[in-house]
Amino acid sequence: MTRKNVHISQETEGYDAIVVGSGISGGWAAKELTEKGLKTLLLERGRPVEHSTDYITEHKAPWELNMRGRYNRANAEANYAVQKRTGQFRAEAEHWFINDKENPYIEDKPFTWIRGNHVGGRSLMWGRHCYRWSDIDFEANLKDGNGVDWPIRYADIAPWYDYVEKFAGISGEKLGLPQLPDGQFQPGMPLNVVEKHLREQIIKNFPERILTIGRVAILTEALPGRAACHYCGPCIRGCSTGSYFSSQSSTLPAAVATGNLTLRPYSIVQQVIYDETRDKATGVRIVDSETNEVLEFKAKVVFLCASALGSTQILLNSKSNRFADGLANSSGELGHNLMDHHFKVGANAMVDGFDDRYYYGNRPTGFYVPRFRNINSETRRQDYVRGYGYQGSARRENWGRGNDMRGFGAELKQQLREPGDWRIGMTAFGECLPRHGNYVRLDDAVTDKWGMPALRINAAWGANEFAMRRDMAQSAAEMLDAAGYRDVSTYDSYTEGGLGAEVGLGIHEMGTARMGRDPKTSVLNEWNQAHDVPNLYVTDGACMTSSGCQNPSITYMALTARAVDHAVSEMKKGNIS
Amino acid sequence: MDRREALKRVGFLMGGTVSLSVASGILSGCQAPAAGGYTYQTLSATQGELVATISELIIPETDTPGARAARVHEFADLMLTEWFDVADRDHFLAGLGEIDSVAQSINGATFVDNTEEQQVAILTEMEDAALSDASGDQTPFFSMIKQLTLLGYYTSEIGASQELKYVHTAGEYRGDVPYEEIGRAYS
Repeated sequence: MTRKNVHISQETEGYDAIVVGSGISGGWAAKELTEKGLKTLLLERGRPVEHSTDYITEHKAPWELNMRGRYNRANAEANYAVQKRTGQFRAEAEHWFINDKENPYIEDKPFTWIRGNHVGGRSLMWGRHCYRWSDIDFEANLKDGNGVDWPIRYADIAPWYDYVEKFAGISGEKLGLPQLPDGQFQPGMPLNVVEKHLREQIIKNFPERILTIGRVAILTEALPGRAACHYCGPCIRGCSTGSYFSSQSSTLPAAVATGNLTLRPYSIVQQVIYDETRDKATGVRIVDSETNEVLEFKAKVVFLCASALGSTQILLNSKSNRFADGLANSSGELGHNLMDHHFKVGANAMVDGFDDRYYYGNRPTGFYVPRFRNINSETRRQDYVRGYGYQGSARRENWGRGNDMRGFGAELKQQLREPGDWRIGMTAFGECLPRHGNYVRLDDAVTDKWGMPALRINAAWGANEFAMRRDMAQSAAEMLDAAGYRDVSTYDSYTEGGLGAEVGLGIHEMGTARMGRDPKTSVLNEWNQAHDVPNLYVTDGACMTSSGCQNPSITYMALTARAVDHAVSEMKKGNIS
Repeated sequence: MDRREALKRVGFLMGGTVSLSVASGILSGCQAPAAGGYTYQTLSATQGELVATISELIIPETDTPGARAARVHEFADLMLTEWFDVADRDHFLAGLGEIDSVAQSINGATFVDNTEEQQVAILTEMEDAALSDASGDQTPFFSMIKQLTLLGYYTSEIGASQELKYVHTAGEYRGDVPYEEIGRAYS
């Protein structure tokens, strides 16, 4: 598309607020802004998705899916070359993933960027684990000197965790741990018999460690308009009973109910418009992906919630005389300090006994082992800073083991009628340090089909992550060994310069517009408000100053609700108009 | 589960507030697949019959239907067309040719026209060869067709819900259940 073929139409009527992106953060921003009475325009680059009716594979049996859920290889290789790197890309969920051919980016080093492209964004695709941060996380940068200090502490965000957890609905177990604060939990889902056994063995052998059921945004008790989980299993297909938190099930209905929401899909935001004479953002410029029209929308305040790299890409592409290197980038840190959780390292084992025990129902979560390293002086490591947690599960082997068994015929069929041995495994999710040298920038030579410059991504794990990975594998094996399990084996999928456990694959990309105390070294202040542009907020993963090792979405929810509260109070005071 | 049980379960689970799409999703799993009408895309009809014959030897009809009834040969054709890469597809098709020429040279007839005893003997030899194949270059044909058969059978309606236990929407999760209460492996 060439720019001269389009006309720029001016919307005369402005909004109070514009939210860019309708995923987890954008849905929360829209809910909070509209509930506070602001006329809000929610822009989503992808297609519309209606709750329930558009969950086209939900509740289909395996035999009702094309190739029982395998994707068409030629189509996947042509259009989803990056998306298919994640195990989440399957035929049952193919329609949630962005088309890589139409939305290119450049990998200076391997970086897997998994994206949704529809209303609801990755709130329809996420793993749903929700873990609070603690002051161990918020103070980490200050204490060990990596990155810059967070401008907030746990006390600043704790009431907002309470607030979003009650609405989102988190099930889990309270543990009283300093490194993983308890929250507003519904009853947790049960561990199975082998997971309970491992829990007891860990308590016995490793007093500083604990195994618990995953804390997840999946209901075990009904909330208004949402039913408790019915344990069908594949959440990624969508959940018409609203049993897990998504924009569709939770925040968007609340925003719609206020009468203050305008939702506009197919709206690719390319720039935030900055008015130098008034020193503020006045709105956004979009391309309508259906008509190729360029449109401008005005508002008093703009919330970027387009995902970490999506929001940063828009800011980098919003150039003006004052901000030649991207809007709100007087620090020069915009695009830098990219982080993700490093994972795909851990251990597996076979478990003898329990042959007469089984489970019932498809539980949509597993167990969690909270961080136990570098919590206090007793758990201090010499070889690395920060820490990691494990996610895992135990289950009995099924018919798939027949591939490794000799024989065929009636005897094999009879054997596979019985469940196999119990198998248990855990994979670690580790903290990644913020480093200036892990960055994204625009590449003007490569654009998407709507003329937006592509991101060039240059990020890699460092020595701290590699030292941590060795411990992640060993400590997992040590726990399985101590529990008396057999055939304990460690694994690490990382390959140097290749795929397997590359940056991005964790789908927890964070940083690139970090919060901080000093405008000279950070993009956002303690309210997720741009230091340079007071009516511009960024509340998705881009804002993160460090990465923690906890799954980050609940923190984005809390920060978003908190930021909206601040923005609206500033508007009332006349500081934003 | 049968249709009546499924309906009861829907009512029980959802307290009567279930949306139509959920109900139809749950119930559609109880209907028999449309019979016939499959057109091969990669296999010839003769090759399709050969695949059906081999798959039925791997998972035969016993007190439940086997691979042929579960139409594993059609599933295999679809997988060859849309999932296999070219090298694997060629390797698989060559394997089909080879098993026929082995049958011809030993027994003087194509594999499907051999007696079951002859067929089992050939397959057993192929399995032995596959298990001792240390080249690692290419999955042996026997392993390929065994994998396709197990996958196609145990994810079919017959394999998943008649041979094994298929729980679609449990309504609860219990983590410690006596195995005899379930009685079969889950699909």
